[in-house]
Amino acid sequence: MSEVPKDNMKHLDEMTLLLYIERQLDRARGLEVSAHTQECDECSTLLRALERESRLLTRAMLEEDEPLPSRLAQFQERARKSMQWIWGLVFGLAATGVYALYTEYIQPWQQQLEAAGFGGSNLLGLLIFQGAMWKGWQSMITLLEVLAMVTLAGLGAMFFRRRIRRGSALALVFAGFCTVLALPTGASATEKRGGQNPTVGKEETIKGDVYLAGDRVRVEGTVDGDVFAAGKDIDIDGHVTGDVISAGRYLRIRGTVDGNVRSCGNTAVISGNLGKNIMWFGDAVTVDATGKVGGGVTMFGGTLAIDGHLNRDILFYGEEVNVNGAVGGSIREKGNMMIIGSNAQVDGPVKFEGNKPADVAPGAKLASPVEFKQMEKKREYRQSHYYIWRVIWTAAFVLFGMVLFLLVPGFARETVNAAELYGAPIGLGILVFFGVPLAAIIACFTVVGIPLAVFVAGFWILMLCCAEIVVGAVIGNLILGRATDTWGMIGRMALGFVIVRIVYTPLAHVHVVGLLAGLGIWMWGMGAISLALYRRLQPVIAPNVPSAPYTPPMPPNTTVGGPLPA
Amino acid sequence: MSAPGITEPTEAITRARAGDVEAWGELYRDYAPAIFRFCRRALPTREDAEDATMEIFMKLKDKLVQYDSTRSFSAWLYKVSANHCWDMLRRRKIRQDKETDDLDNLPLEHPDPSQLDMLIEQRTSEEVRKALDKLGGRARMALVMRYYSDMSYDEIADALGVRRAFVGVVLLRARHELRQALEGNAALAAGGAL
Repeated sequence: MSEVPKDNMKHLDEMTLLLYIERQLDRARGLEVSAHTQECDECSTLLRALERESRLLTRAMLEEDEPLPSRLAQFQERARKSMQWIWGLVFGLAATGVYALYTEYIQPWQQQLEAAGFGGSNLLGLLIFQGAMWKGWQSMITLLEVLAMVTLAGLGAMFFRRRIRRGSALALVFAGFCTVLALPTGASATEKRGGQNPTVGKEETIKGDVYLAGDRVRVEGTVDGDVFAAGKDIDIDGHVTGDVISAGRYLRIRGTVDGNVRSCGNTAVISGNLGKNIMWFGDAVTVDATGKVGGGVTMFGGTLAIDGHLNRDILFYGEEVNVNGAVGGSIREKGNMMIIGSNAQVDGPVKFEGNKPADVAPGAKLASPVEFKQMEKKREYRQSHYYIWRVIWTAAFVLFGMVLFLLVPGFARETVNAAELYGAPIGLGILVFFGVPLAAIIACFTVVGIPLAVFVAGFWILMLCCAEIVVGAVIGNLILGRATDTWGMIGRMALGFVIVRIVYTPLAHVHVVGLLAGLGIWMWGMGAISLALYRRLQPVIAPNVPSAPYTPPMPPNTTVGGPLPA
Repeated sequence: MSAPGITEPTEAITRARAGDVEAWGELYRDYAPAIFRFCRRALPTREDAEDATMEIFMKLKDKLVQYDSTRSFSAWLYKVSANHCWDMLRRRKIRQDKETDDLDNLPLEHPDPSQLDMLIEQRTSEEVRKALDKLGGRARMALVMRYYSDMSYDEIADALGVRRAFVGVVLLRARHELRQALEGNAALAAGGAL
């Protein structure tokens, strides 16, 4: 801010003149500069040049030299338009899904489970850790590898996105995906057959997997692969070297299946040979006197009757187990009845939790006596340790929520904001709560779908765990108002979560109200998470879409060119 | 620093805060072109500007609760954008400008006014934009913040992380760099005769 001597006159330096036109000098200094520029032509010329330079800069920057890119024009716009019909669709699908799930699955299962007298609180744990669950799943490894490669390709493309052009990144992803798909997948082929009575004839041999769907499905020949069958009656009289995965009313296996049977349906009758395990969701499974099963049985449903030979264990949740044949492993039942006939031989331990002791015929050969446990409705909330564990669990959830909020504060805030919309998240939550498990069950009927279903089910459970945290955060916001920082959000979440637990825990012991409150919290929270995820996925690249009409810029109120300070 | 022609979108902001997608769309439609142009001037490539614009609006969803409605929305939005763009540039380590310490040593000389006048007279807006692309990150950011979005010296100092007293120096140095880029004349950039 000095004056530079030049041509026998002290001139103002450029910095001072710039600050003068930018109105950054104090009033006294501004007056000095103003007086000087009125007397000094050279400084006056420089002042005007700087002003013109400022105007040139502003003009150059404000000029619209390129239109708004199409992907920016479409960003948000498409989602905004789609939201209007999406909610209608969501609620429609939710209602349909709820009705279908209830009539097809929940109602019959509820009746059976109630008859069996257990709540199923540890079903999942037992199912997962039961060895039979994991038998014969080796064929899934290839698919998991493919998924892993696609994931890696995606991550790689994201990593190099900054270094290569977007089009190239997209091309890389697609090229990687196509390469993976084009990789040789062995000699297997897949065949699909439909119609009224899709049949694999007696003399026929199919190399690879076969999909059969129709009223009556018959496999009389040989399938050198897996059989995927859907129909009213499914008969396997031939030879299947892989697994049988089916959905139908009756499944009869009179032939030979080298792999597993994984099915859901009404009744299954095994009269032939099954090399590995049975997993059955449905009413009844019978292993006939002539039937042989190389593995074990995992069943959720009404009645299991073993008259033939079972090489390994039984895990059963349902109404009744009736054994009058040979069981090479253990029996574990949680249900209403257990009947062990005089021809029965069980080589492993027998554990039964039910309403009355097992009915064991005198001639039955058991490795050890039946361990019976009377099923009882626990009233553990009357005991002190129940509350201690509640406090521990509450603290664990708060800690879990805190970690989540710290890891993804932006997404956490979006989720809580979404939850505060009430209607939309609850509607979406109903759809997700019922629809996702239903979709996962349906997906299990395809090879590709099984790992996907496992992943989706895992994600669903994660959302379920987070639901109460989200609702807690909303309650906290209602009490203390919205927080602007992450720790504020965490504090509100903790407060709200504790309140939810304090209110909800006693309610949980009031039959209907507790159930409805729990369901409501879960659906609300899951809906909010889903809505936030949906919004995160909104910025979809829409190539080849015309640009939005040009919107004039916001010209700033530049100080340049205005009247100079006096 | 309000935006002439665009009244303050108070109602839209309130609705957008409550999660109204329509209101959010309104804000986006009204402000995205200006923010894109801001990013386009401040960042090296068009794709960077596209990415930054989307990221700014995504970030805005979270930050909207922090907006003080007594202040100008566009000014606040430009500030958010400036911070985001400067963060992007810093992350990529393309701060090629001299650091703050060097700013003290800037010679405060008197350029030849007539030659500067001639240079400005002869250059078009397009040439200026091309010259801007050749500037270092800080110089370009400073010019864009001042002459595109009309940010105050305090706001510029805050965004660039320099003392307020240095903002004028940063701007003057940026102008010199720009003249050098326009003319290819190092002497001009140093403040010498044009």
